[in-house]
Amino acid sequence: MKEIMQYINRDSFLHSMNPLSKIVAVAGIIFLSVITTSSEVLALMVLGIFLASLKAGLQQELLRQLKLLIFLSLTMVILTIFTLKSGETIGYLIPPGIFTADGLVPITTGALDFGAVLSLRFFAMLFAFQLLVVTTKPSDLMKALLVIHIPVDYVLMFVIALRFIPSLQIEGQRIHEAQLARGYNPGKGLHGKVKSLKPLLVPLVANSLGRTKVLGLTMDMRGYRSRRSVESSRLVWNKTDFAALGFVTVMGAGIMLGSLI
Amino acid sequence: MIGLREFSYTYGVAENSSLKNINLEIRKGELLLVTGHSGAGKTTLAFAIAGILHHENGGRIEGEIIFKTRDIRDFDGMKELSRHIGMVFDDAESQLIFTSVEEEIRSGLENRGHSEKEIIRRLEEVMELCEISHLKKRAPHTLSGGQKQKVALAATLALDTEVLILDEATAELDSKAVRRIFSILKQLKEAGKTIIIVDHNIEDFLEIGDRVVLLEKGKVKSIKSPANFAASSPVSRSVSPELAEQTMGTIHDRKLQDLRQKSQPVVSVKKLVHRYGEILALDGIDLEIYPGELIAILGENGSGKTTLVKHFNGLLRPYTGNVATKGLETSKAQINELVKHIGLVFQNPDNMLFEDTVEAEIAFGLNNIGVYGTEAADAITLSLELVNLKAKEKVFPRHLSRGERQRLAVACVIAMRPELIVLDEPTTGLDADESDRMMQLMRQLQQEGHTIIMVTHNLQIVKDYVERVIRMEAGKIVEDTVNREYAGSKNVSRDTSEAHVHERDYAIY
Repeated sequence: MKEIMQYINRDSFLHSMNPLSKIVAVAGIIFLSVITTSSEVLALMVLGIFLASLKAGLQQELLRQLKLLIFLSLTMVILTIFTLKSGETIGYLIPPGIFTADGLVPITTGALDFGAVLSLRFFAMLFAFQLLVVTTKPSDLMKALLVIHIPVDYVLMFVIALRFIPSLQIEGQRIHEAQLARGYNPGKGLHGKVKSLKPLLVPLVANSLGRTKVLGLTMDMRGYRSRRSVESSRLVWNKTDFAALGFVTVMGAGIMLGSLI
Repeated sequence: MIGLREFSYTYGVAENSSLKNINLEIRKGELLLVTGHSGAGKTTLAFAIAGILHHENGGRIEGEIIFKTRDIRDFDGMKELSRHIGMVFDDAESQLIFTSVEEEIRSGLENRGHSEKEIIRRLEEVMELCEISHLKKRAPHTLSGGQKQKVALAATLALDTEVLILDEATAELDSKAVRRIFSILKQLKEAGKTIIIVDHNIEDFLEIGDRVVLLEKGKVKSIKSPANFAASSPVSRSVSPELAEQTMGTIHDRKLQDLRQKSQPVVSVKKLVHRYGEILALDGIDLEIYPGELIAILGENGSGKTTLVKHFNGLLRPYTGNVATKGLETSKAQINELVKHIGLVFQNPDNMLFEDTVEAEIAFGLNNIGVYGTEAADAITLSLELVNLKAKEKVFPRHLSRGERQRLAVACVIAMRPELIVLDEPTTGLDADESDRMMQLMRQLQQEGHTIIMVTHNLQIVKDYVERVIRMEAGKIVEDTVNREYAGSKNVSRDTSEAHVHERDYAIY
């Protein structure tokens, strides 16, 4: 079973970084990836993040998301081709001769570039977020988020959502088996596929909703509501943290300046 | 220390009160046992004592609850109460909010503001106490049900509150683990903690209990000393082994022999091997199951018993070896075809219920094998009658009680009239009465001509009903014998003079 977004217990330079610096770095990357409109800069960002994962030995985790990302990217690019026309036309989505003498839906360099920007943004954000979650223990993540005064309820929601991903995968499998044992035979075709989700999703969602009361009470009784502020001295800072933060700052400065020139 | 005075409670959407005029004084250092049938109000009482009804639920409250000389309403929510009261709920999964056991137990300790050294000390201490030190780095989804319960308990024990409430917190623990919990609670009692144990079965803790409160329909039916309670409990139902052997031993053997001569096996397993990746789950199984048998497959978690039965309906295919159900090779046949002959009911009915009415739920299975219209309607009526849920035809399945949902799950499967019915841990979460009812249902189905297999780790519940016991260990069958403890005399009217078995003609679908 693929482990999605779960902490992996290893010794890498990313693991030994301060969770707060990782959060700030990821937030920085997300912010910068949105404000820049240059596909070259984004490509460099993605490359940088990938190289970091290589150094930490975690490149497999990123590559696992590749299928999803490629699907997203293609969708983005096709959407942009339909909606944006600028620069040179280098071809047609529907080649000439099929419906009309000239082709339909021109593929322009402007559209391709913008489509690339959108896709690379996804790559950058997803890779960065993934590395964060895979190298940081949820309790450390939680402490870091609490230090920057994000309300306890939201932080716990985030941590609990992550922790339930594999449990829900297992439960989904069990539900699937139970339905198969009743002759469950999902139909072919789109209508069949949609209808066939109900026997799987309803139990999954209903069971999850049923857990909320006890989850809430547990949070309360462990003392999260009356939590005193975490001593930030508990979190350790070292060189890598400064290096990472410095790197993101320099990158940010570069982007800002670049857009001003 | 804790006093309930004329306390009544009605849930927001309910018509009837869940608790009526409860008067109860709990002394400091007392170990109180609260028991009763499902729906008697045990969990509601536990919530009341913990202050949850006052501070978290809506609903109508009458009377008062005093905690340590203050009205429980005057506390600053669960925030303040959690410093004094720790509670372990019945759903272990929902009490694990982190991705490792270590983090889980630390979380409570950190919130108390202890020093790092103190935290580590307490962490090690409580993990050793609950025997989960070896699970330190494990993620919750990799833990078994019993392990999850131990972790939930440990996380609450770490908080070291003066009051501890356990609500059905030991359902999935094996007898060794329960003994461990027993000794932990004994230690805590000696340290002066006030403990309240809520469970439909409190036998394991009678020895350390001070009083037993029996709840019935929201009222306190009786408060007795453990000795008096045990004395007044219904007499143990097992008939003496000698009597059983005299009346049923020979007849049963004869019946089994007859069967083997006359009939084709319903399920035939030859040299079955199954692997999960590197792990060998089944190590060469040879087995034959004949029509009309009522069998228990016993084994601990990991013994391979569930893996084995999943081969019968094609959910799993053999790695090597051969499995045939009603003559059909499971490695080649469609699951959709095999389920007409074998119905498999899993442990948790909530993993299969998704329709809006009980009726529709049963219709789902029937439709899947091509049965519609009036034929389906008849099948639905028949199966509901068999499980005694006829009155609940139009009810939303998730509104039924746990025992009723379990029976509904069985109904969904028997409506398809499979010759073989397999149940995985059929009595989990059921109280004594409901378990009994389930077993009686199995007996009745057998008399109708079905073959029944029950997979369980607990022989106690099924030993009075099953004729044949197959014991598994580490992927092998280590025992396959006639059940000597079988007390057939407990049964509904059964013809004991002849060994005859109905073999229904199953050419229906």
